[in-house]
Amino acid sequence: MTIKGVLAASVIASAAVVLTTQLSAHHSLTVEFDISRTVTMSGVITEMKWTNPHAWLYVDVKDEKGQVRNWAIEFGSPNALYRRGWRQTDLPPRNTITVTGYPSLDQSLRISATDVKLPDGRTLFAGSPISGGQ
Amino acid sequence: MRTALCLVAGWLSIAPLASAQAPSGAAPYRAPRTIDGQPDLQGIWQAVNTAVWNIQDHPAELGIPAGQGIVEGNEIPYLPLALARRQMNYRNRHTGDPETKCFMVGTPRINYMPYPFEIVQTPAQVTILYEYVHTSRHLRFTGKHPEGAIQWIMGDSRARWEGDTLVVDVVHFGDQNWFDRSGNYHSADMHLVERWTRTGPDHLSYEATIEDSKVFSRPWKIKMPLYRRVEPNIQLLDYECQAYLEAAKDRENR
Amino acid sequence: MRIHIGFAAAGIAVQCLIYPSSAASQQIPSIPPTKESVCPDNDPVPLLACAREKLKSFKPPRTRDGKTDLSGFWGGTQAPHENLEAHPRTPDDNGGPSFVVDPADGKVPMQAWAEVKRRENRAKYIDQNAQCFQSGVPRHLYMGQYQWLQTPTRLVQLSEETNAYRNIILDGRPHLGADVVVWQGDSRGHWEGDTLVVVTKNQVGRGWLDQQGRFVTDAATVTERFSLFDANSILWEITIDDPLVYTRPFTMASALRRNNRADFEIWEESCYEGESNAESLRNLGYRTYPGFSAREAKAAKETFERAAAAGSAK
Repeated sequence: MTIKGVLAASVIASAAVVLTTQLSAHHSLTVEFDISRTVTMSGVITEMKWTNPHAWLYVDVKDEKGQVRNWAIEFGSPNALYRRGWRQTDLPPRNTITVTGYPSLDQSLRISATDVKLPDGRTLFAGSPISGGQ
Repeated sequence: MRTALCLVAGWLSIAPLASAQAPSGAAPYRAPRTIDGQPDLQGIWQAVNTAVWNIQDHPAELGIPAGQGIVEGNEIPYLPLALARRQMNYRNRHTGDPETKCFMVGTPRINYMPYPFEIVQTPAQVTILYEYVHTSRHLRFTGKHPEGAIQWIMGDSRARWEGDTLVVDVVHFGDQNWFDRSGNYHSADMHLVERWTRTGPDHLSYEATIEDSKVFSRPWKIKMPLYRRVEPNIQLLDYECQAYLEAAKDRENR
Repeated sequence: MRIHIGFAAAGIAVQCLIYPSSAASQQIPSIPPTKESVCPDNDPVPLLACAREKLKSFKPPRTRDGKTDLSGFWGGTQAPHENLEAHPRTPDDNGGPSFVVDPADGKVPMQAWAEVKRRENRAKYIDQNAQCFQSGVPRHLYMGQYQWLQTPTRLVQLSEETNAYRNIILDGRPHLGADVVVWQGDSRGHWEGDTLVVVTKNQVGRGWLDQQGRFVTDAATVTERFSLFDANSILWEITIDDPLVYTRPFTMASALRRNNRADFEIWEESCYEGESNAESLRNLGYRTYPGFSAREAKAAKETFERAAAAGSAK
């Protein structure tokens, strides 16, 4: 394998391993989501529910016809966020975010998130909370 | 799902409290110690009252026993808007009560649900294992309440001893819990202080002070005895409400 | 995102590529062993041999009543919930070698009728974990964060996941009568030297042992041996005996690793209260797993074997 190939594989492998260790705790991902493809969409945060076993982010997304629909984005557990210092009050209100994830098999408006980015490119709820003003 | 308390009464040690209480002027009951030297609260305990139906005085109704409440002074000092909400809860109680959805019921209600619970004590914490939906609470002698806005159903409990009384400070609640099946409720801002005291070989006294300025105009208290389950070989079983409910949903879906 | 002890995302991503698979794992990649563990906790067969060697000389810390002190914070090290047998890495699975150490071929010895039911389970029913039910024994201890509390008469194993607990009674009383079945089983523990031996009966028989649909009935007896072989490691041996489902008792092994993170606490995970995945699973046609009592299993087994005999008689 070329060095490029190894690096590419390592990115895929690391994403896959992070994902499975997150979600395998509860149930098989493939039963509920189509893991053969990802979808990406941008929209405005309307609400976040800090529930177990998954926290949920709700996002208003405009489809190709210009119709706005509210999507449910599945996150990891709130305790993992709490332990890294994140709190419900940290969520930037009415912010636009870009979500990538696996679509639901039953065609409902839900995604199992693999990546959630703020407009400045930062990953939401990764690492530690933003310092200053919190 | 609504357990008739009368079926359980025969199994409890409901010896008259006079035999456990010290006559006035005498020293209070001194509990035996655990292997680590703490007052021993361990064992299987259960409330025998009707607080789960209504924490205040109430008459009987079909399927609901009458009860003398556990609220000191029998008055809950609701703010005017909060009282309206409480009354709305009462009207919606058959679907609005978290217990109807097999959810955990929060603190202090978990302590007077009609199911036993077991207290296990170790040096760093007192753990309470409840039979109802396998709820557990950890009353920790170490650490502090984590900071910031956190919502847990059972709250975060930090404990200390005041003489032989376990004093427990509880915060970090959500806003979905009810105190009883009649719609008495609190907000996520509730601050609870519990006091657990052995009053005899088979009795525990439980008191809690409730503070919640979003809902009540002043703090108020509840108080009740807890009775030891004295049957030989008594042990905690389970009430996995969720499993029964999900099976029922399957039958509806068919 | 949810992180389990030993599974810190960055560490795993690097280690996965550079850590060679052991020959014993038949070239199937596994979660790497916990850093600093004295025995390879990512492969049960070498783990068992190594741990037994350590046990010959290891002197465990003791409780006030003179027993091995098993209390503290522990974490699972592998992912048996995916599949008890050897299985490859996929986007859905971490993969790993078999957890079965006896029989030596690493295969779970299912009876023919039970193997058919296993496949049916996967096709029709929801894994109890997805609905936030408790997992039963031994599955509740496979992975995640735990706190074990120990007194002279109790060993309580607290899980963060779905706030589950298992209450092991150490006072020598008899088991519950056969008519009372409970989700986490009825566990009795006694000491054999420094090892805690736990016998569990009276499980409800409504949980899967893994996501492949393997199961036990309420007639199962699960025997576990917990041996501290190092200050930070417990050898966990599990023997499952359910004569209606398996052709013989079989034994698995895994390690539990101490979580030495300062100030760590088990926090509330109110799983069922926020659970919404079951609805979408129901929309896809899945149903809650009804389980097997011993009586139901016996009837199913007899029906299957009669049909098989009739088929082969033709």
